[in-house]
Amino acid sequence: MALLEIRHLSKFFGGLAANADVSFSVERGTIVGLVGPNGAGKTTLFDCVTGFHRPDRGEVRFRGIRINGLSPARVCRLGLARTWQKVRPLARLSVLDNVVVGALTRTRRVEAARDLAREELRVVGLSDRAGVAAGTLPVGERKKLELARALATGPELLLVDEVLGGLNPTESEEVVEVLLALRASGLTLLVIEHDMRAIMRISDRVVVLDSGEKLAEGTPAEVVEDREVVAAYLGEP
Amino acid sequence: MPAPPPLPASASAPRAGARAAGTWLAAAAVALLALFPVLVARPYPLHMGVVLFLAVLEAAAWNLVGGIAGQYSVGHAVYFGAGAYAAVMLLERLGIAPWWGIWAAALCAVLLGLVVGTITLRLRGPYFVLASIAAAEVARLAVLHFRAFTHGAQGFVVAEPPVLRLPGLSLTFDGKRPFYYLTLALAVLAVAVNRAVLRSRLGYQLLAVREDQDAAHSLGIRLSLVKNQALAISAALTGVAGAVFAGYSRFIDPDTVFSLTDVSVPMVLYCLAGGAGTVEGPVVGALLLVPVSEALRNPRGLVSLGLLPAGSGVVGFVERHLSQAHQLVYGVLLVLIVLFAPEGVAGLLRRLLRRSRARPRPAPPPA
Amino acid sequence: MRSWAGVPAPAGRGETGMILFLQSLLSGVLMGGVYALVGIGLTLVFGVMRIVNFAHGELVMLGMYLAWFLFTRLGWDPYLSLVVVAPALFLWGALLQAAVVGRALHALPENQMLLTIGLGLAMSNAAMLAFTADYRILTTSYSSSGLQVLGLSVSEPMLAAFLVAVGVTAGLYLFLLRTDTGRAIRATAQDREAAQLMGIDVRRMSLVAFGLGAALAGTAGALVSPTYYIYPQVGGAFTLKAFVIVVLGGMGSVVGATLGGLLVGVTESLAAVYVASDLKELVVYSLFLLVLVARPSGLLGKARA
Repeated sequence: MALLEIRHLSKFFGGLAANADVSFSVERGTIVGLVGPNGAGKTTLFDCVTGFHRPDRGEVRFRGIRINGLSPARVCRLGLARTWQKVRPLARLSVLDNVVVGALTRTRRVEAARDLAREELRVVGLSDRAGVAAGTLPVGERKKLELARALATGPELLLVDEVLGGLNPTESEEVVEVLLALRASGLTLLVIEHDMRAIMRISDRVVVLDSGEKLAEGTPAEVVEDREVVAAYLGEP
Repeated sequence: MPAPPPLPASASAPRAGARAAGTWLAAAAVALLALFPVLVARPYPLHMGVVLFLAVLEAAAWNLVGGIAGQYSVGHAVYFGAGAYAAVMLLERLGIAPWWGIWAAALCAVLLGLVVGTITLRLRGPYFVLASIAAAEVARLAVLHFRAFTHGAQGFVVAEPPVLRLPGLSLTFDGKRPFYYLTLALAVLAVAVNRAVLRSRLGYQLLAVREDQDAAHSLGIRLSLVKNQALAISAALTGVAGAVFAGYSRFIDPDTVFSLTDVSVPMVLYCLAGGAGTVEGPVVGALLLVPVSEALRNPRGLVSLGLLPAGSGVVGFVERHLSQAHQLVYGVLLVLIVLFAPEGVAGLLRRLLRRSRARPRPAPPPA
Repeated sequence: MRSWAGVPAPAGRGETGMILFLQSLLSGVLMGGVYALVGIGLTLVFGVMRIVNFAHGELVMLGMYLAWFLFTRLGWDPYLSLVVVAPALFLWGALLQAAVVGRALHALPENQMLLTIGLGLAMSNAAMLAFTADYRILTTSYSSSGLQVLGLSVSEPMLAAFLVAVGVTAGLYLFLLRTDTGRAIRATAQDREAAQLMGIDVRRMSLVAFGLGAALAGTAGALVSPTYYIYPQVGGAFTLKAFVIVVLGGMGSVVGATLGGLLVGVTESLAAVYVASDLKELVVYSLFLLVLVARPSGLLGKARA
């Protein structure tokens, strides 16, 4: 049984189908890339999976449990965490406290949460910024913070939404290394990205969405060859 | 809307050294305040103390919901009034002494808080503010209407609290001194509760809700649960404040205890002026603003404190023209605070201190 | 038969019951027309500036006092004094926007609300200092006269107020639909950034919107001045009702506010008769809270605030 199974997921806004009959699975311990042009429905899919939207049709199963319709808090506590496309730092809290908030979902004790938080900051490389107010961070560090905070909740599956957007090549490389290290440590990731080189590099499988529908699915090599995908829009290399 | 200017790091976990110093300072201040009535037996200063401590209690209560959780209720008078009426009606109709009445007031307020919270806490932004005002208005109008039960607009004249007999001592509640100590204790309690919450798991989660509700939700925080927890504690403290107010001023009516401008707004104002979301904010705000409003409402008090010569023309002038002006001052202050000091005095001071302490930050270590 | 509030219920069924119902319905509609003006003013401000103005009721109060002042000092009929009241309130609103509200654009929304609450407090207490808390009344020759319309008796001043309100609303709709400024305002309300890109001066639009909102509020105040007690705190209830109207109709929707105003007027009137006269506002607010429970963005509102 795959860790995450999305079956015939559809979501309509007014008359528009943001997601139309999308089905795919994410196997444990792998990185699945989710790509497609802007407006393809990728973030809407994330919102449906994490409980911010209720799918109109279809279902989402996580560890075999049906999760569509559950609240975002419940989904998180089941082991599914996410980052946001437009980063959402808890601006007036420190970097460390941001991650502590995440860790407090994993443990009830504040001291234990602080230890967990420091560990996650180390993983993403933000240890020396622990005392800084999150709202003052530049974009690259905000993205790392978002990752650390989501990781602190102790997920089995992490949904990553365009974490590389706006990063310079050095920062990009750092984050990619973090994602690879996370997979190596046993975490499963579903990654929305426009940076195709990164996707090709890290993904075990790739799913392509366009206009709400699944266009193609396969290994990176297969997807790149797929004529329909090439025809539609592959995104910047 | 652009993001608010960031405050200095971690409003929730100050460094250990600063924390310890702050605690000793606070303890010393409380000890001094406790000694005060022994040294000064005149009623007016004690009255000022009671008014001040009640203000701290109320502001600290509001801080939990408004400052820490970021839910700006402008209808907290509903809990104040509920507590006042609960305690008074239990005393008048069932003869239950205020010692138990206060607990009942707190319970009543909490239950009311759960009802109001269920309705209002799922609302965002202006809808929440509005619903909180509407809830207080509904309570005021209801109490006004059901005269048979509540004496309506006439209000209640509260009898003198009976003597409290405990093993080994009996306390009478006449004169201001007992109320001084009672309200001081409650104010300290409320501030301590704020401190405890800010350091607890609940505190972190409330701050997260305040900063970004959706992000908090995605991190596993149950929004309704934590908001209602904050509201329950806040309502209990506010209800107790109402009950004590009733016992102290010996008269309550709906327009006084459910008042938007005289109860709900000052709670918000004191907290905001001092710095919402901090431990010291409610205290600082009350310390700054209560004397001003008292001076306007009761200029003779200034004479009795020796700050103004007896027979001064200022007293007459204030009494004739400015007796209601404290509300005008509240209004102007709200405008000024929002425009020029949204983080309150505490935030302003912190900004100034940081600037004077600034030194170049060490370069980050190589990747 | 007694109703649960201890007030004698209307005398039963049949013709008298029907007449009573129609009567209260009608007076509800008449009042609702004026409420609609207040609601439209508030919703315009929110639509264009995304600011929730808690001082709106105080603008109504100022309109009432100004009409009373012109009546007692100069003998001007309140409906005629609109010619002065509306522009005066427009200027006052624009001034408030330029001097105070406009400076708070970057504050947290919660703080913006507190700012307008502060403005409201300042205005109502300034009025108290200027006019004392005494209730003022404005009695015109027709203040207590009634007309018979289709067998129902109608208060003459309320009918006049309603007709003027309808006229003003119609004029406003024309303004918003046909004039350049009106269209610019609608564009700004729909999408502030896009409007700016199209060359619309959004700061000027904010001034106009706030001024217009104030003018509408002041007009409503002048219209009801022959039938209301005038005192400094009268604005509070108007603010709350205006919000109920705007939330019911959807924040930013002028049509919604029009319908919402009528709904609130009718509800209040029916509640005064069938529940208890001093509970009529409580009924409106309670229904409002219930609506919010079911639909957190109002009856006609969109999903996002």
